[in-house]
Amino acid sequence: MNTLTIILLILTIGAAFTYFINAVNHKLTAISAFVTITIATGYFFGLAELGDQFKFALGDFSMQWGLNAFSYYFIYIVLGLSWLALLYSIAYMEGKARLGYYYGAFLLTIAGMFGVVISQDFISLFIFWEIMTWASFLLVIYNYYYNIKTEGMKYMIFSAIGAYAMLTAIVFIHHYYGTFLIGEALSKGAFSFNQHIFIPIFLLLGFGIKAAVMPFHVWAPGAYAKTPMSFTAVFSGALSKMGIFGIALVFSTYYITHNAGGFIASQILAWMGGITAVMGTIYALIQTDAKRLLAYSSVAQLGYIVVGLSTGTKLGIMAALYLAVLHAAFKGALFMVAGAVEKQAGTTDMTKISGLIKRMPWTFLVALISIITLAGVPPLGGFVGKWLIYEALITESNNYFLAIVIFFSSTAAFLYSYRFLFGLFLGQEEEDTKDVKEAPVTMLIPMLMLSFVSIITGVMPGLVFNPAAKAMNALGFADTNWDMTSLSNIWGNTTDLSLIGIFIIIVFILGFAVLTLKGRKKTKSVGTKDISSSGELWKEGENWTFQQDFFKPFQRAAAPLYKFDMDKIWSDMGNALEAFFGFFRKVYTGNGQTYAIYVIAFLAILLIFKDYIFN
Amino acid sequence: MVISPVHYIVAPLLAAFAIALLSKIYKNAARIVPGIVLFYNIVISLVLMPQVLEKGMISEVIAGWEAPWGINLVLTPFSGFLTTAVSVIGFAIWLYGYKFKVRLQGGEVKYYEILQMMMIAGSLGVIITGDLFNMFVFIEIVGITAYSLTAFYRHRDGAEASFKYLLIGSLASIFLLMGILIIYTQTGSLNMAQIAERMPMVPQTMKVTALIFFLIALGIEAEMFPMNGWAPDAYSQAPSPTSAVFAAVVSVAGVYALIRVTFTVFDVEGVHQYLIVMGFVTMLVAEISAVAQVNLKRMLAYSSLGQMGLVLIAFGIGSHLAVFGAIFLMLNHAVIKALLFMSGSYFIYNSDDKRLIGLNGIHKRLPFVSAIFSIAAFAIIGFPPFSGFWSKFYILIAAGDENMIFLIIGILMVTIIELVYYLRTVARIYFYKDEVEHTEHKPSINAIVAMSFLTLFIIVIGIYPNLITGYLHQAADSLLDKASYIQHILK
Repeated sequence: MNTLTIILLILTIGAAFTYFINAVNHKLTAISAFVTITIATGYFFGLAELGDQFKFALGDFSMQWGLNAFSYYFIYIVLGLSWLALLYSIAYMEGKARLGYYYGAFLLTIAGMFGVVISQDFISLFIFWEIMTWASFLLVIYNYYYNIKTEGMKYMIFSAIGAYAMLTAIVFIHHYYGTFLIGEALSKGAFSFNQHIFIPIFLLLGFGIKAAVMPFHVWAPGAYAKTPMSFTAVFSGALSKMGIFGIALVFSTYYITHNAGGFIASQILAWMGGITAVMGTIYALIQTDAKRLLAYSSVAQLGYIVVGLSTGTKLGIMAALYLAVLHAAFKGALFMVAGAVEKQAGTTDMTKISGLIKRMPWTFLVALISIITLAGVPPLGGFVGKWLIYEALITESNNYFLAIVIFFSSTAAFLYSYRFLFGLFLGQEEEDTKDVKEAPVTMLIPMLMLSFVSIITGVMPGLVFNPAAKAMNALGFADTNWDMTSLSNIWGNTTDLSLIGIFIIIVFILGFAVLTLKGRKKTKSVGTKDISSSGELWKEGENWTFQQDFFKPFQRAAAPLYKFDMDKIWSDMGNALEAFFGFFRKVYTGNGQTYAIYVIAFLAILLIFKDYIFN
Repeated sequence: MVISPVHYIVAPLLAAFAIALLSKIYKNAARIVPGIVLFYNIVISLVLMPQVLEKGMISEVIAGWEAPWGINLVLTPFSGFLTTAVSVIGFAIWLYGYKFKVRLQGGEVKYYEILQMMMIAGSLGVIITGDLFNMFVFIEIVGITAYSLTAFYRHRDGAEASFKYLLIGSLASIFLLMGILIIYTQTGSLNMAQIAERMPMVPQTMKVTALIFFLIALGIEAEMFPMNGWAPDAYSQAPSPTSAVFAAVVSVAGVYALIRVTFTVFDVEGVHQYLIVMGFVTMLVAEISAVAQVNLKRMLAYSSLGQMGLVLIAFGIGSHLAVFGAIFLMLNHAVIKALLFMSGSYFIYNSDDKRLIGLNGIHKRLPFVSAIFSIAAFAIIGFPPFSGFWSKFYILIAAGDENMIFLIIGILMVTIIELVYYLRTVARIYFYKDEVEHTEHKPSINAIVAMSFLTLFIIVIGIYPNLITGYLHQAADSLLDKASYIQHILK
């Protein structure tokens, strides 16, 4: 039997087994899930080889699963991140209800993502896509009662729109090219925009919705924030990358065979990505809940990746693939941080807690590293990705304005990054968070491992570039050579990054030394309520804490931007449609006489117009 | 005894009368006999279908009068496939309803079983008859039993629904008779094959007028807009197993009759476009109306109309792949909608409230039935890996091959509407707080077996559709191959 099918079987059977073992003994549930994913991951990285293929026929269609360098690259994200997230789940989900449901759906989602990545024909791609969607839907509504009406419904409807857009495109690819095999369709130029305009548009819609591209992003913040954080790490880190996977797969073919410059879809894509990056950031700024802040930030970050893809140059796609891995690492870690804070402190509302650094130092360390990566500050990995994107935009596709947009967005990202760090960890300590403890060690290990990815890629980005270059090879781009520790641009300038590694180590050692030597002895710890008012009497309801209205001046300055509320537009549209349906259904009056009149009238119409209707 | 297609009809008809007599001797006979008969029908299928699939259609002559003079029954791969499906699903519904209405008097159960048996016999008759007037008779049998079953619970709503059904149904009979009349005056025959042979000689005006009468009359049976106003009332007022039979058997027979007449008997251009347009309108209006329903069975009824619309669209496309998808969808719809009515009526039974509010949080009381309902709901929307996905997928591919992009977009948009209301319903079952007073009725073991069987079917076919695609291809071929149908019957 084929390795790929065995892994799928392990995951699905493991999901069923985990679900049912919960009824027997709910302590075994987490272990069973973790063992399943460990076996699957180990089996994959141990035994699966590039070029593995599995062919069979279903219905009247031939199906094909296989492994190439491109899918292998995404499996790093899928299986790697899922393994860490499941490890994290063990402690995070401890004591919660319906563990069988949670772990079963989790494993099924992983199976779905794995299937999407290894699919080499559109039918299996679509089937796994749907399995992935509804399995993750089960997790979005895990927190029962309040979720289904709002977030669950939104997620499912948008996913369905995306999936059906994809299905339309698939049906037409079959119509024009007579095949469902992705490779075959690609070689026939299936995605050339000029030939069949709607195929790329529908595919873009299908993949773009999963990647939460504006204006279809509205499902994302709620779904990310309401899901258990242990899954959100995978949701935002790996599942949304499936959209990136699809866009890269579809568009790169076009770029290779045609001139990317004249490709209008890539311009649309670029601006969708750019707007997503800006708006996601703008909305992230005003969130008071850390989870929602991260969710919007996730939307914005995927915007960058989409922009990178849209350039269509080697550098841009490389940047996008690189950022995809990196985003999985740092956003996964950040959601895990939010989860740890939620579990230990009971809330992630940044207006309610602060100063957790003393209570949760390791969690803070992870948050700090990930935030640095997110903001794209050297020396960590995020810098490399941002640099590549700018370079691709400016030097290779001459898209200066978009570069400015991205630059604005990533500058504004500093603001929310700062707020996340400051709001949760720095500042004065609240009275009621005094007895918060550090997160359990099984939660810290995955977080630290993800931070390690952020650090190591800053020094040796080649670790990611190598597989990314192979992946691009598999997509059809000519081979690109990447040195392990250096970054080179098109003018031949090379930046050696190994120095940076040395600097990091020095800075950390120095910082650690300074902190331990100087200590906190000279500083006085004060609570949030311990504020001197210089003799003035303060009025009831006056704001004395910095946590309230954190970015008020900025918010005031950017007020017009906040008026543009996509969420409201969609919900208004939904309500209008529903009202219309309510009106329209009165066709069925419930009156027998009316129905009889319908029949007679319809007969009369047919008889009168029979020459037109039936030739 | 040699098994022949006529047993399909004779067995249940005889049983219907036998029930009346036998239940005088043994009270439970009314419950047992239908099961035996339907099981016998499955045996007939098992014996006859291999022959049909191997050697082609079987034509059965009644009373020694050869076609075209006498009435003949034709078992083609298409009609045989449907009779098999109807028998199996009918058996499952019987098993499900075996303990149905224990609370009522024995007499009522007897009448119920007799009527149900007659209705299934009539539907089977519609499917396998090769004679137009015979088809009319069977449609009348189905109609009359259906009116009485709709009013089976003797209360106001049931009577009203039944009256509406009767009103529209009698219009159907009149128009059907008029259509047959025109055809008979023009061709001098009632045998479908012979009419089809002589059809090219009929003047265009006569042909089209007759066709229109058929389209209206059979459109009523096939639940086509705007002739389907009776359906939601009838579905929602009939006893629950009967609702399942309406959805799984009667509507399938109606669509069969419509398709057989338009595909085989008539040769009018433009009827395909008519089916596509009216099918789409049916689907759209029905699904839109379903969103606004507050009553579970009415919602399911509207959803049924929507599915029938999609079936008609697929037949309208008319290519081999489309017909294949249409037959697949008919099968899926029969199974899944039967399942939805079966599980749905347990919700109603338990909550004493026909409205959707009664479903709130019901999964705590009925975990198994809730799971079945949810699977069926996802299957009918067309989520992989359930069987509903494949039928929809085939239809979409067929539409794509004919380059009908707007039809595809339309179908998928309507599917999203469908998704919305089914998701809401499932959400009620699992995620809403239980607020309604309720009575406790656990599903009986026979109902569990019946529902599990149908659910298993959905999942197995969904994962491995190859099990039935071969039969479906033959069925589609046999429907489209008009020439050999005529040749085989007239020899």
